[in-house]
Amino acid sequence: MTDAATSPALETRGLHKRYGAVHALRGIDLTVQRGEMFALLGPNGAGKTTLFSILATLLRPSEGEARVLGFDAVRERVQVRQRMGIVFQEPALEGKLSVRDNLYLMGLFYGLSSRAAKARSIELLRTLGLEEVADREAQKLSGGQKRRVELARALVATPELLFLDEATLGLDVDARRQFWGEVRRYVGAGGTVFLTTHYMDEAEPADRIALIDHGQIIAMGSPQELKNRVGGGVLLLATEDDAQAAVWLREHGHNPEVSERGVLLVEPEPATVLPALLASLPVRTRRAEVHEPSLEDVFLKLTGRALEGGPAKPAPRAAGGRP
Amino acid sequence: MRGLFAVVMLDLKRLWVDRVRLISSLIQPLLYLFVLGSGLGASSTMGGKGYLHYIYPGVLGLSLLFSSVFAAMLIVFDRQIGFLKAVLVAPVSRFAIALGKIISGALQALVPATVLLVLLPLLGLDLSLPAFVELVGAMLLAAITFSALGVATAARFRSTTVFPILSNAVLLPMFFLSGALYPLDRAPTWLRLLAHVDPVAYAVDLMRGAVLGHTVYPPLLSIAVLGGFIVVLTWLATRVFSAGEEI
Repeated sequence: MTDAATSPALETRGLHKRYGAVHALRGIDLTVQRGEMFALLGPNGAGKTTLFSILATLLRPSEGEARVLGFDAVRERVQVRQRMGIVFQEPALEGKLSVRDNLYLMGLFYGLSSRAAKARSIELLRTLGLEEVADREAQKLSGGQKRRVELARALVATPELLFLDEATLGLDVDARRQFWGEVRRYVGAGGTVFLTTHYMDEAEPADRIALIDHGQIIAMGSPQELKNRVGGGVLLLATEDDAQAAVWLREHGHNPEVSERGVLLVEPEPATVLPALLASLPVRTRRAEVHEPSLEDVFLKLTGRALEGGPAKPAPRAAGGRP
Repeated sequence: MRGLFAVVMLDLKRLWVDRVRLISSLIQPLLYLFVLGSGLGASSTMGGKGYLHYIYPGVLGLSLLFSSVFAAMLIVFDRQIGFLKAVLVAPVSRFAIALGKIISGALQALVPATVLLVLLPLLGLDLSLPAFVELVGAMLLAAITFSALGVATAARFRSTTVFPILSNAVLLPMFFLSGALYPLDRAPTWLRLLAHVDPVAYAVDLMRGAVLGHTVYPPLLSIAVLGGFIVVLTWLATRVFSAGEEI
């Protein structure tokens, strides 16, 4: 109890995870403070879900230590579980039971008395705007409503820490906005959030972001800090032959990255160099774009690969990403 | 204690809202009884009281065995749809989850068994009060044993494709070996030996003792064997829920 109240929300040291020959996590050192909204951003198969599962007491690390709210995530998992809420990537509601019963029963699972569980369910239904669907079967709700019920379920025991694993995968923009609005409210009330995502717009509202790739954290900081690491503005050129353009740019002292969107250049003053480049490139440029760096650019710059693996498509579960 | 209550409440609420399952569990024992009782019963008499007397505890055993194992199999569905994860990540001890699942499975299996009990007078079976109490006690013990068997097994599986295999390769042999349909004491030696390791045999024998007044095994032995099965299977189920890296 001594340092549990003042310790960081999450702390890992030298965390490794191996599944047979697959080395899913390669030494993760991470500290998340209380009251922070922290996003783990990376492509599928990068190790996001593995790290998430270890922190959420669902998986044992092969090596290293993970402490959650001051408790050891392996040895003191019960203490951790009493203080955390979790929204899984997959739906975890009993579809045949009403929304109210789903919440009530989860309250019992978290040690609330029957009366307290009922009262807490009613409170959550009201704050999350679910009163109208309270007595409907969970399976008959829309995707966005279901997710909000899952959030309510995760909040039933008034947790200090909320885990969200790809929580708005497959939701439309409105439902997403509403979901993250609720999460923001929870953080505003003093809660800590640890979320994983492979959509940069979901990571954007976080206080801090860790970029993960091949089981390692390759960058960490506030969204602005990460963008500053790109070192300037981004110049995107869509040409008739991106590969040839990249070769030419390299020969002329630039450091281009080729993505599906075109050739990406980071320049301290992109607008200044653009006219000269357009004039001298050996291939015709169809479109040129200058913008502030996005998290996508940060990832591309650091890894040479795109984050979402092409245009927004429903993400398949990565093979080897978890067993 | 609250965890245990939560596990049982969850399953009972789910049975209650699942009207198809509830109604079929009320109809199923009638089917068993009339098919077995009138089909086989017309051609034979046994123990002086008619085959129906003889078959009745066997039908109870059949109903309890299949209902409780079927209830346990829902754990696999829960695992597949991801719902089990939400339960397993709650701060509830694995023992409470295992025991709660076993109790709820037994309670669910007792629903159709109660229908059979209610039918007792209609079947022309008259039991004295002590015999009736004895029968109910034996049923409870049988239900918990079978449910423990189901939970300890189902907790291991991640796919529902094993259901038919399990049903054909384990449950049916266990039932047929048990002497539920024929007297074990007149069965060939190899069959009797196999029945010695079959919990269904002890459970049916105990229930039959209450109905017919005589048993193959001493009742105390049956109670001890079933109690032993319950302890070991509960321990196994707890271990399965605690083990496995990914829960």
